[in-house]
Amino acid sequence: MRRARPLAGTALAAVLACSACTVDNSNSNNGGSSGAPQKLTVAASDDACKVSSDHAPAGTLTFEVTNKGSKVTEFYMLAESGQHVVGEVENIGPGLTRSLVVQASAGRYVTACKPGMTGKGIRHSFTVTGG
Amino acid sequence: MLANFLIGLREGLEAGLVVSILVAYLVKTERRALLRPVWMGIAAAVVVSLAFGALLTYGPRGLTFEAQEFIGGSLSIIAVGFVTWMVFWMAKAARGIATELNGQIDAAAAGFWSLFVVALLAVGREGLETALFLWAATNVATSNGTTSSVGPLLAAALGIAVAALLAWLLYRGAVRINLRRFFKWSGVFVVVIAAGVLSYGVHDLQESGVLPGLDNLLFDVSNVVDPTSWYGTLLKAVFNFSPQTTVLQGIAWLLYIVPTMTLFLWMVRNRPQPRRDRAVADKPATQEKAVA
Repeated sequence: MRRARPLAGTALAAVLACSACTVDNSNSNNGGSSGAPQKLTVAASDDACKVSSDHAPAGTLTFEVTNKGSKVTEFYMLAESGQHVVGEVENIGPGLTRSLVVQASAGRYVTACKPGMTGKGIRHSFTVTGG
Repeated sequence: MLANFLIGLREGLEAGLVVSILVAYLVKTERRALLRPVWMGIAAAVVVSLAFGALLTYGPRGLTFEAQEFIGGSLSIIAVGFVTWMVFWMAKAARGIATELNGQIDAAAAGFWSLFVVALLAVGREGLETALFLWAATNVATSNGTTSSVGPLLAAALGIAVAALLAWLLYRGAVRINLRRFFKWSGVFVVVIAAGVLSYGVHDLQESGVLPGLDNLLFDVSNVVDPTSWYGTLLKAVFNFSPQTTVLQGIAWLLYIVPTMTLFLWMVRNRPQPRRDRAVADKPATQEKAVA
């Protein structure tokens, strides 16, 4: 069991280093050349999923999702096919606002809210321009 | 109200179950000195998660989706490693109880950092997601606008409180049953939990794009098991059961649980049980103290 100590230390260090580097990552991307970070808002309810705009320039996109419904919801940004998940934020309880930060390159996407966390969700098309 | 309560309950149980088994074990085997690293690990996990979550919520920078999933996923998988170590450490120590009571071995001191890390990871692996959820609820409670409401925060806090109560009841129950039975069932229980955590970690890594196959589903029972229901919440909290499970998750779950469970059952069963040994192991904890 004495061996476990350096192992534990290594694991801890790796975890700390890793979380630090991911924050750095998002920092440099935010300040990078891919354009100013864009903030969008999403009004989600049990039967609607209204994104403030249906398009945005490529780069760091922040979706601030507010759940105005009564069910727990999730918000997704999907590839145009509707299959591949580009980004997702879950556990958006009723009344809460949570953010999804994604690095998006130009292309066509689909946004979706999933009230009740089931089904295909309420979908709308979304375009990322430039690049 | 109920929705936010169930999220709090689920996140609380995910963090609390393994820890309450560990605490019950340490108390039952009179290793109370080793409770300290466990409490320290829990405290560190809570503080780090809340601080990191606050930084992301109130600070200028957000964390990308991939990064958050990567953190949650890799921490879960590392947690599985340490929790598995814990199960076998408990089983092995159970085997050696008779010897230890003779004062030959005290493995206690060596386990300090490992136990710290087990508690840290068991509570902290999903800590960031829980913290982000709680800060979002706090945001609503403290905002000045018309949307200000303490409801979600209260509901979430109540959910966590109930989870803590359930974890405590599990601990109370575990402390009462006889030692041999405790080792067996708690081990089986923790191995099942760990398999769920591994599968969950794999899903997080699939979401972050590190592992492929996110859309390749093994089964989808989300129209049968409603994830927002109380039973869906409990299935998720205890077994990390996801109504939509990917093929890779299923494979990881099986590859973990089959050999680990087999080895564990072999270890707790396939041992000589001389009458003296059994008598010692079956004694209540209070009497063991007297013997020691």
